Amino acid sequence: MWRPFRFARLGFAGRDGAAPGPVLARTGPALLGLALGVLALGPALGPGFALRYDMVFVPNPPLRLNDGFPRAVPSDQVVALLSALLPAEIVQKLILLGLFVLAASGAGALARDVLPGGGIVPRLAAAAFYAWNAYLAQRLLIGQWALLLGYAGLPWAVRAAARGGTVRLAAALLPAAAGGFQAMLVSALTVLPVAALRGRGGGGGGRARAVLSSVAPSLGVVAVLSLPWLVPALVPVLRADAAADPAGVAAFAPRADGPFGTLGSLLTLGGIWNSHAVVPGQDMPALAAVRLALTLVAVAGFVRLGFVRRPAWWPGLAAAACAGVLIACAGAFAPGVPRALIGWWAGFGPLRDGQVYVAPFALAQAVGVAVAVTALRAAMPAPVAAAAVAVPVLVLPTFALGAFGRLGTAEYPEEWRRVQAVVNGDPAPGALLSLPWSAYRAFSWNGGRVVLDPATKMFARPVVWNDALVVGTGGGGQIRVAAESPRARRIGALLAGPAASPLTGPLTREGVRYVLAGGVDENTFLSRLPGATPVYRGRELLLVRL
Amino acid sequence: MLKVLAALAVGAVLAGVASVAVVNVAAPTAEPPNKPLYNYGDR
Repeated sequence: MWRPFRFARLGFAGRDGAAPGPVLARTGPALLGLALGVLALGPALGPGFALRYDMVFVPNPPLRLNDGFPRAVPSDQVVALLSALLPAEIVQKLILLGLFVLAASGAGALARDVLPGGGIVPRLAAAAFYAWNAYLAQRLLIGQWALLLGYAGLPWAVRAAARGGTVRLAAALLPAAAGGFQAMLVSALTVLPVAALRGRGGGGGGRARAVLSSVAPSLGVVAVLSLPWLVPALVPVLRADAAADPAGVAAFAPRADGPFGTLGSLLTLGGIWNSHAVVPGQDMPALAAVRLALTLVAVAGFVRLGFVRRPAWWPGLAAAACAGVLIACAGAFAPGVPRALIGWWAGFGPLRDGQVYVAPFALAQAVGVAVAVTALRAAMPAPVAAAAVAVPVLVLPTFALGAFGRLGTAEYPEEWRRVQAVVNGDPAPGALLSLPWSAYRAFSWNGGRVVLDPATKMFARPVVWNDALVVGTGGGGQIRVAAESPRARRIGALLAGPAASPLTGPLTREGVRYVLAGGVDENTFLSRLPGATPVYRGRELLLVRL
Repeated sequence: MLKVLAALAVGAVLAGVASVAVVNVAAPTAEPPNKPLYNYGDR
């Protein structure tokens, strides 16, 4: 009898013999994830596109690369390819639901590995926690579905890294690879320590060699799967014309979204920089208190697991969770460190939004919840313990129904599709300049939800847009994070020039063929583009060919 | 029995807090702003 872990043998199956069928045991977490996805997305599953902040899906998306840092590589290309098979709005819904299914099934599988006799309830609890928490909710509300592909695949990647085998790891990292740079960075932060620390025994040089031989194949897989965004990201860095504004640290540092300060928010998996991405009601003291209590229980469960069983992935996941929280804390409590790093080398730019790296801590907590529920199961009648599966939802209930309407759908007005057809039907080369000169819009037809300019995704030619970011601070202040695209910086300077100065020549020299303007005074606007030809006029959009 | 009662009490508290949160959030709120341009977000 393995006494220290005896409670694991007293779970759903072992105690009353009511073992779930093998199909239910395997598919239960995935089905729970699907149900949670339907509950969380709610109105976002209706007809049309769910458009919010960085989540921009467009009809008939083309295959193309944009200027600037390749944040949407290869996620945009994957969506474009899938949209050749299915309507883009269906692709979006499948991806969003898939996030929940993948996350829940992965957390359930990890719990099953470590609690083989624990029954299905702990697996479902882990699945529910990992698919329904502040991290996933906030990143969904800011529209970072591509990052969440990495988050959702993280449990599978951890299992694969612990077991070894490059093919297995590559398969597990495919969702993150499709997601792009943030998804892969979060995955690398987790997978590499797991691979490095999975081996046991040995010492001195033997130990170092074992770590190296464990980590090298994983590093190779991570590097190869990162190539689609790594190459276009590193070329400007190596050319020294990449820009990563250190002001981004102040703009995107974690913030307190509840009564327990920034650290309390991070520990409860919240703390995103944007106050509009917080789940409504999340800051209620009573709700925040029960979430914090759940966090303490989950951490205790995870630590206990390390003492009594210590699965191969435990040391690496523990290290990744600590490292992730430290990176997040650096932005809030020691901002000079990431500022200095980013100022020294633009390649450190991804450190500015440190809360992203809390993902492995979320996974550690999910496993900890499973351990705690297993112990609960040993002391309680089955129905009482089974009710623990609902706890993650109860401590964040307002994530339901698209966070009570924060997520919803909208149909693009017909004029967007017409403009897209005109531009994409023109074989002549040249970029499209999107105006007004601001990255984010709040269209009335999208319910006033803020969204990245859809023009950035719609056209089969380079789109020049203002990738400088403006973040509001308390008291009406603003933090401006400088543009990253060199061409956007140059064109921004042109547009900021004297109001009467003509733009046609300078824009043509910058390789611009079309200007798409929304909500402008046509007469004033066209007076700056002498010789240009308006090719489409609608209520909202004006398309001009230079 | 005591443990079960404690668990039920915790469950009741959770359900109560969740209900209050839902009721608060579901209450009518002002229409979202309809600005043509917007910050990336506000801290």
